[in-house]
Amino acid sequence: MKRRSFVQGMLLTSAVVATPVLLNAEEKKAKKKGPNDMDFATALSTITGGKEAKDSDKIKLTVPEIAENGAVVPVKVEVDHPMEEGNFVKAIHILNTKNGNARCVDVMLTPLNAKGYFATRVKLGGTQEVVSLVELSDGSFLKAAKSVKVTIGGCG
Amino acid sequence: MAEERKSMIKIKPKKFKVGDIVKVDFIVIHPMDTGLSKDKKTGKIKPAHYIDNVTFSFDGKPFTTLKTWETVSTNPYFSVNFKVPGKGKITVDYTDNTGEKNSKSKKVKPKG
Repeated sequence: MKRRSFVQGMLLTSAVVATPVLLNAEEKKAKKKGPNDMDFATALSTITGGKEAKDSDKIKLTVPEIAENGAVVPVKVEVDHPMEEGNFVKAIHILNTKNGNARCVDVMLTPLNAKGYFATRVKLGGTQEVVSLVELSDGSFLKAAKSVKVTIGGCG
Repeated sequence: MAEERKSMIKIKPKKFKVGDIVKVDFIVIHPMDTGLSKDKKTGKIKPAHYIDNVTFSFDGKPFTTLKTWETVSTNPYFSVNFKVPGKGKITVDYTDNTGEKNSKSKKVKPKG
């Protein structure tokens, strides 16, 4: 009986010791990579398809200069462009430069919207730039960027 | 699907006419977990849970579609412009990465 209980005890302790190690390894893997990580350059090239995005003052990008809470950063994009059939703002993409996943929102607009406008709130992991990429219906791309100072990161 | 989520559609300004451009705001209570943060009670990593598709439609006709990722804040807020063509209903359908589907609608009543 003694031997049996001893063996059982050994098995239990080994199981207890082994599981935390396994868990730790899993955690480290998960920390390194989020579910859909993509860096800024890759995200930009997948959206534009290799086309050049011009810096434009037609886009009015409104973000706070200093964001106290990185978890809630309001972003507003207004595009000064007509919204008629055949000549309209096709899409607004909101990107960031330093988060694990550089993509935030892709908005597909139609002429029914009547104005190139979109507003939302995003998370920012640290001080970085918010970039709005605008696709027009003729296939050209415009871009505007603004930097945001983040005091407390929001991607914990 | 399984869980009923609180959501809200707001049309600004409140009084508008046919042909006016209004702001359509949509807010939903959703955790938007990134898949990186830990649960404070159990110490385990919370799996990613975020809204990935949102569609704004008027009388069944979609006018704006969004593709979103986990980088959008908790309890997301989306705002778009819309030109009112007449009486009807604005519907917002949204799905998240776990396959949950929900929708919310609001009647549009232009005056004059």
